[in-house]
Amino acid sequence: MGGDWQELAQAAVIGLLFAFLVAKLISTVIAFKEDNLRITRSTPTSPSAADTPAAPAPPPASLDGGHGDTSDGSGSDSDSDWEGVESTELDEEFSAASAFVAASAASGTSVPEQAQLQLYGLYKIATEGPCTAPQPSALKLKARAKWNAWHKLGAMPTEEAMQKYITVVDELFPNWSMGSSTKRKDEDTTVSASSSKGPMGPVFSSLMYEEEDQGNDSELGDIHVSAREGAIDDIAKHLAAGVEVNMRDSEGRTPLHWAVDRGHLNSVEILVNANADVNAQDNEGQTALHYAVLCEREDIAELLVKHHADVQIKDEDGNTVRELCPSSWSFMNLAN
Amino acid sequence: MAAPNNNDAAAGASASATTSEPAPEDTSIEALARRVQEHMTLASNPTARRHKFWETQPVGQFRDAADSSLPDGAIEPPTPLSEVRADPYPLPAAFEWYTCDLDDDALLTDLYALLAHNYVEDDENMFRFNYSPAFLRWALRPPSFFRAWHIGVRARESKKLVAFISGVPARIRARDDVVRMAEINFLCVHKKLRSKRLAPVLIREVTRRVHQENIWQAAYTAGVVLPTPITTCRYWHRSLNPKKLIDVGFSRLGPRMTMSRTVRLYKLPEAPLTPGFRQMELRDVAAVTRLLRAYLAKFVVAPDFDEMDVEHWLLPREDVVDSYLVESPETHEVTDFCSFYTLPSSVLNNANYATLKAAYSYYNVSTKTPLQQLMNDALIVAKQKNYDVFNALDVMENESFLKELKFGPGDGQLHYYLYNYRIRNGIKPSELGLVLL
Repeated sequence: MGGDWQELAQAAVIGLLFAFLVAKLISTVIAFKEDNLRITRSTPTSPSAADTPAAPAPPPASLDGGHGDTSDGSGSDSDSDWEGVESTELDEEFSAASAFVAASAASGTSVPEQAQLQLYGLYKIATEGPCTAPQPSALKLKARAKWNAWHKLGAMPTEEAMQKYITVVDELFPNWSMGSSTKRKDEDTTVSASSSKGPMGPVFSSLMYEEEDQGNDSELGDIHVSAREGAIDDIAKHLAAGVEVNMRDSEGRTPLHWAVDRGHLNSVEILVNANADVNAQDNEGQTALHYAVLCEREDIAELLVKHHADVQIKDEDGNTVRELCPSSWSFMNLAN
Repeated sequence: MAAPNNNDAAAGASASATTSEPAPEDTSIEALARRVQEHMTLASNPTARRHKFWETQPVGQFRDAADSSLPDGAIEPPTPLSEVRADPYPLPAAFEWYTCDLDDDALLTDLYALLAHNYVEDDENMFRFNYSPAFLRWALRPPSFFRAWHIGVRARESKKLVAFISGVPARIRARDDVVRMAEINFLCVHKKLRSKRLAPVLIREVTRRVHQENIWQAAYTAGVVLPTPITTCRYWHRSLNPKKLIDVGFSRLGPRMTMSRTVRLYKLPEAPLTPGFRQMELRDVAAVTRLLRAYLAKFVVAPDFDEMDVEHWLLPREDVVDSYLVESPETHEVTDFCSFYTLPSSVLNNANYATLKAAYSYYNVSTKTPLQQLMNDALIVAKQKNYDVFNALDVMENESFLKELKFGPGDGQLHYYLYNYRIRNGIKPSELGLVLL
């Protein structure tokens, strides 16, 4: 019973301590963001407000999943810092890491001195650039050690310093980012340099939907799917299992049509060698060669012609493949 | 493919709009009502986060969306020119301001390279805009342009161009008010310098230089929601070369659809169908100006083009801007007009293609030929010239032809903004007559 009581008390103490640390972290992160989120090298003194005409600067672009436990966009000022407009993921993560380190220091967490100095140097590079301050007197041991930590990094680029800083924090506190508002990419620990959505200017837009049959609900057999995907082993299995090599889907297309359509030369060879009908027509009167021509599959078209595909067949629109094909395909003129 | 951008803050703000009755004899009640309204607006728009900076700027605020008593027009009056800051804003020590002279071919090449490598990409980083040097000269040097508004930042030691922003002057009409504005565009910071926060300084600097010319309003677009869009448009795309578009990932092929059927679906006639359809020439400037001014008068916000503007913006330039008109074979009267500009994109990480050639619908006026037929002819000539895709926003009357001509919706939304100019309640895309590049 005494042991149970001790465990319970210990859990309670740990819980209280954790709650205290989390609260302290949150308040420190908020204060840090307010005071320190602007990180530039050798920032000149900014002009007074009375001297500043208005400028249309947009607010920071928020990261996907960037709202963690410590960040509440609907009431807090902590994420309204417009100067973060050009923050990258790296920048956000560095800010969170350095805020965490500050919170840890405030709560008395022990960090090896060598790591402290390393973090100090990296932080200075990231926020102020290369060390140009004069070397402190040898009598000021701590100041000199800090100066050395900064100075020895030379002209390290800002981004490299930020990345190394994050790496060191990761090593010291492997779970530090779990409570952070910065979401780490799962498979890539190197933060991408690609631009987030810009603060101003045009937008690149792509088509949002797949090309689909309007009003049609095509049905494909398994061998058609394999031919469409160019899965030559599966095609061979279907044929060995006795599936008809010229089996039609609901639109009258054979596996050969599908293999040609998606440009799978190997699949076409397998099907043709299995005596697929090279002149089979789908419900619109189109042969595999029509497909090859429309989809500009020149190598496949040449293979089909070698296997005596008929260039004279007309589809329902009255087109033969010769009428549809690029004039540069000389082998088409040699066909029967 | 990227998910659609569902920023509906502006629409949500409108949905929550209620009229607050003015009570001049009891200001405390009015203040309380406004505060309640502000909270309601914010509560109904999770994406309309607080914008500390923007709330100090002369732009429409989300909280004002409900207040129909606020007048249209300038939000702040002009400042005396003597009070406009005389010196450029300070930059970090390693950088210096550099006004770009686009007559200098070497400089133009540097600007082209900066944009080609660092400018806008899609959400999945598969494409990046690749404005051509000739396009940049066209876009940045309209009549009466200011060289001082072509603002570069370069590294002090290497003299390498690392950032850029531009403004060009324009007369833009908002309802009945013709306003001298700056159109702000091409804000670009080198990828390696995104952490140095050059963008806000660039925006302040271009604003300062615009003010020095006694111009106090601006128009700009963005892909993100800021306080407060005057309207939000969507891009629509018409495949011209579907095989290539599918190969590079611009569009996709469903599992039951064949490439063959897709190619046939988007096939176009060999030549334009409308008698008298031909390319615009210098002698057509007066007629096109007449047509365009009459047409743009229908819209709430539109450019106020004169003949010099039309000559610059719409007279064809190879691989930059193309314009066509319909001249009646009998009377030789110019009755209709259409145009598109050329904006290629680099295709990143594709083995077969390096560039996507896109046409963007510009200004289109139909008086005799139905608009759908006119635009079909535009698609035909774009296909003839080997464009891969034809893009159009759902502005002006474009919505009337998009579906019939087989345009599909894109995943990109474009928000339009005016700086220091309020338009009560915003406008619909179909009320917008302004196309920014």
